[in-house]
Amino acid sequence: MIIPHPLLGPRDAQEFTYLGDASLMARPDPYSESAEAEFCNYVYLRDNPAGIHRELWFHEQGDRSWLIITRDTLTHEILGAELVSADKLKAGL
Amino acid sequence: MTDLTPLTALRDRDPRSARFGAVTLSEKSDLSLASLYIGAGRTKPHPFGLDLPDIGKISNAKDHSAFWVGPNQWMIERKSPSECDFAAEVKAQAPETAVTEQSDGFVCLELEAPEDAMTALLAKLINLDPHSLTPDTAVHTGLDHMTVFVLRRSVTRLDFIGMRSYADSLWHALATAAARMNNLDT
Repeated sequence: MIIPHPLLGPRDAQEFTYLGDASLMARPDPYSESAEAEFCNYVYLRDNPAGIHRELWFHEQGDRSWLIITRDTLTHEILGAELVSADKLKAGL
Repeated sequence: MTDLTPLTALRDRDPRSARFGAVTLSEKSDLSLASLYIGAGRTKPHPFGLDLPDIGKISNAKDHSAFWVGPNQWMIERKSPSECDFAAEVKAQAPETAVTEQSDGFVCLELEAPEDAMTALLAKLINLDPHSLTPDTAVHTGLDHMTVFVLRRSVTRLDFIGMRSYADSLWHALATAAARMNNLDT
């Protein structure tokens, strides 16, 4: 698989480490009243879609940036790659 | 007092060098390295008169050079004995930045070859277009499952900066590729 890095161009997927669903960036509020149930879902439950999936990849053998890759899990086609910027982290996207 | 003898990353008293046909592979033990990070949105400093380069590039200024390693991060280099406190010197030049000594963490292996041999070797060693590695280009990529910085110093010279703990494995990977290309034994 070749990942189109937004800064560096096409790169071998072996340079990257896969973390998982990009929704992991939306960490629940630990002070909310339903925090226990929300953290249970956050830690243990994942969607496993057959199709389009947004996921986190770390460019370990590269510029060590985090990317959000949009990938079709049926075909492994990469539909997009963007940097996880500080703004997105702040917004919990 | 114990009389200690410094060894190179390849555990020799002197830097190792070998020739495979037109290709020469040498260990460079006199490279000082320090990483430099500036916060996002900060103005780039000019340590030692260097213009910190853009993505994937190397810049040179007299005895020093710098290459891009990531967003807002560069590696500063100088040919000098690694016993010196290079990080302190870089920090003095760019006091607003975060500087970390890297000299002892890496090994640098230099490959010299004619342009056609270099292109053929690059095509076998890393999964990037060899023609994209023009002089003064630096990439961080994987080689034989090891993480390496590949620096195209000139048309005929390429430096591989890898983890010091992988020094032997990196030498083996490069020497094997160079030897096989020339139908030689390593």
